[in-house]
Amino acid sequence: MVRYRTLIDALDAAPDDRPFVTAWINEDEQETVTFAEFRRRARLQGGVLRAHGVNRHDRVIVIMPQGIPGMTVFAGAMMLGAIPAFIAYPNDKCEPSKYRSGLAGVTANLKAKVVVIDEEFPDDVLSHVSLTEATKSEATKSEATKSGATKLVRASDGRRPGAEEELPGPGQAGLSQADDIAFIQHSAGTTGLQKGVALTHSAVLRQLEHLAQALKIDSAKDRIYSWLPLYHDMGLIACFMLPMVYHIPVVLQSPLDWVLHPETMLEVITEHRCTLAWLPNFAFQFVARRTRPNRRAQYDLSSVRALINTSEPVRASSMQEFQNAFAANGLRAGVLQTSYAMAENVFAVTQSDILRPSDRPPQNGKPGHSGDLGPPRIWADGRQFRSSHRIVPVAEGTPGSVLMTSSGRLLPNHEIRIVSDSGAILADARVGEILVKSDCLFEGYYNRPDLTAKAIVDGWYHTGDLGFTLKGELYVVGRRKDLIIVRGENIYAQDIEEIAASHPAIHDGRAIAMGVYNPDLGTEEIVIVAEVESDELLAHAPEIEQEIRCAVVTSLGVTAEMIFLEPPKWIVKSTAGKAARSTTLEKLQKEHPELNFES
Amino acid sequence: MTAEEVQMVEYILRRIRKPNLIIDENTPLVSTGLVDSMALGDLVLTLEDLTRMRIPPGRVKPKDLDTVAKMFATAARVGKPQK
Repeated sequence: MVRYRTLIDALDAAPDDRPFVTAWINEDEQETVTFAEFRRRARLQGGVLRAHGVNRHDRVIVIMPQGIPGMTVFAGAMMLGAIPAFIAYPNDKCEPSKYRSGLAGVTANLKAKVVVIDEEFPDDVLSHVSLTEATKSEATKSEATKSGATKLVRASDGRRPGAEEELPGPGQAGLSQADDIAFIQHSAGTTGLQKGVALTHSAVLRQLEHLAQALKIDSAKDRIYSWLPLYHDMGLIACFMLPMVYHIPVVLQSPLDWVLHPETMLEVITEHRCTLAWLPNFAFQFVARRTRPNRRAQYDLSSVRALINTSEPVRASSMQEFQNAFAANGLRAGVLQTSYAMAENVFAVTQSDILRPSDRPPQNGKPGHSGDLGPPRIWADGRQFRSSHRIVPVAEGTPGSVLMTSSGRLLPNHEIRIVSDSGAILADARVGEILVKSDCLFEGYYNRPDLTAKAIVDGWYHTGDLGFTLKGELYVVGRRKDLIIVRGENIYAQDIEEIAASHPAIHDGRAIAMGVYNPDLGTEEIVIVAEVESDELLAHAPEIEQEIRCAVVTSLGVTAEMIFLEPPKWIVKSTAGKAARSTTLEKLQKEHPELNFES
Repeated sequence: MTAEEVQMVEYILRRIRKPNLIIDENTPLVSTGLVDSMALGDLVLTLEDLTRMRIPPGRVKPKDLDTVAKMFATAARVGKPQK
């Protein structure tokens, strides 16, 4: 592997005629650009940005639909030495006022010189974009732009030159240094609360080198499939930066198109012989359950050598369902893999052991376990896990046991510690907070030294995630802040939420469990907020609450003191589409001031 | 409503389990939150079954599925015969 100084140096070194990005819309509508064409369009977009006063170190917010134009704007900004950041594009269901408010937080923090949008960006959201006081004052102070507020730029598709000049080619536009900030990626959260993670070229390149080694990347043979949004680390790092630096073709689909047609993931992989993809846990089940039996025969997944489950707690049942559903389609045993990743470390901290196809036996079309070849799994005593945070292995399927799947082994130059609440370093098989140190760790949250000081202590990033190590593998069990401690018993919010959401009256995935401190009892009480499928079901709230309460007691042995059933769309969601616990609790507190929560 | 539209309404009612709800071909579903965005894929599959058409990816947006009438209009506009 050639060691590059910057990400743009790596892009410049790519073979001209190798395909880079294929924007897949459907079987008849696809556009592929080679690395040479991608560079040309990026230089054009860079020229547009320069004409709008963008210079080295200026922040550029990119709010464009998933596709080649947005990617070339992003790369064009980096060619200028500017610092781009992708922000989620408003969808049909987003409330303009909420989106504006969230965007106000992000633009104020970044003090962006330019916000780039596409020609179809909705006007009701548009009114805000450039008008925060912070961005105004920064732009006014800028030597480069005397005209005032942050500029709003509507990007073209970048295919044709405009009045602006294209940026110079390789070797002339190298404005960035290795330790300059390459871009900002935002960690998940409700939009306004997102934290901008500033990453240098060298940190990103080191991460990619480790990742490529762990994945056994073969630039001549690999091809990535992705529907993952580019404003999240999975999409940006694994499916844009990795192929850009390692010169691998990537086939991209819009997240919305994938939600409407989940089965197309199989179609794209079959058509383009993709070898690698990353998916959040829910997607494994989502695709398996929405693929027509009568169409399954047309899919061939034999080209895939890794489908990597990351970004959500890994559920063995989801992976097994996918494996069983598609074993007859050439999906080899051991293809389903796992990773533990976070924006603050550029991306991956761990990766399960990826095998080359030749290392694996074929399954002869029979559904079966991937357990022997995939990431290690362990059955642990549920009582010990909850009461003393210890992992005591038990026989498979033992009543009351919990099944856990490893997220893999550490990447090179990575260290982790598992620590107790008091900061003591814990041994194997003890659950505690995961701390990370690596040579690609972020330097801080952009313009937020207060948050940075809390997150990085003595060089260790406090992830807020809970996990344990065993035989060199890392198992991630949940978020520390989501742990509920009831009379000394450790209850994982996800376990309660899974139980509540399985009730037929509750909307799938729309339940939140939280621990709220009760000063009279001196311990936390369990509070569940769940959305019913429809308003009418609220008339049956007492019965539904009782059924959920019974299910929680039966499964976990603890009582849910308070259950709030709410109408559809009540729970606050993050930009990643996940339920946001802290923001939902704030909302609950506002609506129920009599409860006097003290968390 | 056509027979297919009636079947779609029945499917939606079964899916959202709303006992006293009455919907017709013009009832907004997506924009009002009656149907969640993660359920849109199921609506597309059902629409394909009822129309015996293939709805090509990339040609449909959530707003095209907001009412039962719009769903069938969309299928007529962009649908292709199933292979």
